[in-house]
Amino acid sequence: MAELQKDPVTRAQFIVMGTVGTLVGAVLTIPPVAFMLSPTIKTNFLGQSDVPDDWHELGSVFEVPSGTPKLYRVEFPQNQTYNGEDPLLGKGTIMNAVLVSWMDGEIPSALENASQGGLSASQIEELTSQLNVMSNHCAHLGCPVRWFPDRDEFLCPCHGGIYDINGGLIGGPPPQGLYYYAFEIREDGGIYVKHEFTNGEPWVV
Amino acid sequence: MIARIRAWALGVGQAAADWMEVRTGVVSMLEHFLYEPVPKRGMWLYTLGSATLFLIVLQFLTGILLLFYYVPTTDEAWNSIYYIMTEAYFGLLIRGIHFWSANVLIVVVGLHMLRTFFSGAYKAPRELNWVVGVVLILLVTVLAFTGYALRWDAEGFWAWEVGIKIGSYTPFVGSYVATFLLGGDTVGPATLSRVFAIHVWLLPALLAPLIGIHLYLLRKHGEFGSEFEYTKRLAELRERKQIEEYALYEEGDESPRE
Amino acid sequence: MEVRQGPVKPVEEGEIITDENVYDRPDETMGFFPSQIVADLVVSAILLAIVVALSYLVPAPLTEPMDLSTDTYVPRPEWFFMFYDQMLMFFPGFAFIPFGGIVIPTLVVIVFFAVPWLDNEPGHSSVKRPFMGVIAFLVILTVIINMLLAIIRILNFPGGSP
Repeated sequence: MAELQKDPVTRAQFIVMGTVGTLVGAVLTIPPVAFMLSPTIKTNFLGQSDVPDDWHELGSVFEVPSGTPKLYRVEFPQNQTYNGEDPLLGKGTIMNAVLVSWMDGEIPSALENASQGGLSASQIEELTSQLNVMSNHCAHLGCPVRWFPDRDEFLCPCHGGIYDINGGLIGGPPPQGLYYYAFEIREDGGIYVKHEFTNGEPWVV
Repeated sequence: MIARIRAWALGVGQAAADWMEVRTGVVSMLEHFLYEPVPKRGMWLYTLGSATLFLIVLQFLTGILLLFYYVPTTDEAWNSIYYIMTEAYFGLLIRGIHFWSANVLIVVVGLHMLRTFFSGAYKAPRELNWVVGVVLILLVTVLAFTGYALRWDAEGFWAWEVGIKIGSYTPFVGSYVATFLLGGDTVGPATLSRVFAIHVWLLPALLAPLIGIHLYLLRKHGEFGSEFEYTKRLAELRERKQIEEYALYEEGDESPRE
Repeated sequence: MEVRQGPVKPVEEGEIITDENVYDRPDETMGFFPSQIVADLVVSAILLAIVVALSYLVPAPLTEPMDLSTDTYVPRPEWFFMFYDQMLMFFPGFAFIPFGGIVIPTLVVIVFFAVPWLDNEPGHSSVKRPFMGVIAFLVILTVIINMLLAIIRILNFPGGSP
């Protein structure tokens, strides 16, 4: 092998190496990182969501039984990569399982003397305070929880998280109770939900 | 006649080898690789490393083959795997090799690591090769985990779901980890695209050069190092010391008595 | 390139083995080709046979398509993550989940990286460095016990055994 030739670096060469090197480095690192992180930037810093901020009908308050939760499935529109609002993109949806129960499983008195036709503002207020609209994803690691009627509890199959009918944490490793959806009850008794959670961020829902 | 053909073929072969040797040095390199002295003891133990390499090569080959049919979209991922399993010729075999050799790979990599640990083969000057090996085992684990999710079936999806949820508990940056892995704030097409990019392009691209470095460092320092490679010499040393010791005692015994 | 000549004999004639030169060269060696290549080939062929047999006897699993809104599916980890999954059981609540899920695994990985510097006893044999041997044994024992606990827990979940 030939001897390595070690020429001195001139001042001009040093400056060119420094500036051009920095520019090339910046072009090759900043856009790729921003490209990869764009969902993170949009979600965490700009507060954008993949699911439009709309109400979706779940069911009626008159269907929710006493002593046991009712499971609904609701389909939210979802805009993500090739599915979006742009007419040139496809339409995507995300399906959620929503658990609805009355506080402590007791049908509130406001519902007993309410008619299917219309609820008054005060009735709606009372029902709203008595209704639990919960995600069925365990607050620990997101596994689907299920209702065991003989135990009157929700159990998570993954690590044994236990919740009561209100979604409150009874035992196991979860850090908190089940996640509650933002919901509203309308005059006809319809329950409407948003893809938004009032106590923490469940992420994979 | 046959002798002449044979001589001619040998001549052509020799010429081709010489031609390649002058331009690339491949013949002497091959010779160097093939005739490297290796320990006689532990021949079978040392097959764990080559078995790992073999299984990873199988992963690369069958992975590339699966990409001929696999579609990384939420709507078609499951269907394309179903097609591979039911319609494509030898689909059962190609996907079976990809799946089962991944499982066997985890076992063999684990044994390879244990062998290295218990024979102390990470000691100087082989520390860096151990470090590269730990990086490789981490890459293989993440590859196994992401490959699971690519199926987009219940099993794979829920495993990935739990993985993202664990990531969201990372101290200080949990929510950023979650949105990065999800590609948004919900699970959907972007999530699968990310898993696909990581499993099929990013991690193999990191794995391949690191395997090269692992092999280069192995060849540089050799497989020797364990005391187990010096068994005979150690035995001889012990024997010689014992003889000397006895000789010393004999001398010592004699002098005080007389 | 010259072919490196391996030390053929473990002890040269007239060589006196002392504490200093005992590790200078190993016992009798062999060429990588053919003995080691044959051994490697045999092991690889056995593994290939196992893998091919398994792919037909136990086809690679493909469960039902993913459904985010399922209320009956029981997620289970792969066998090589079972010990980790079990470990998460022991870390409840906001304060501890990050420890069990992220911090402790990260520390374990850092310890793995640091093994060559943690163990600077000169001997190679695992009998001669009991400290590292004991640590490794405890780690393996923990992994196996956690794995067994996970299997027991999975089998005991009401109506959820896979």
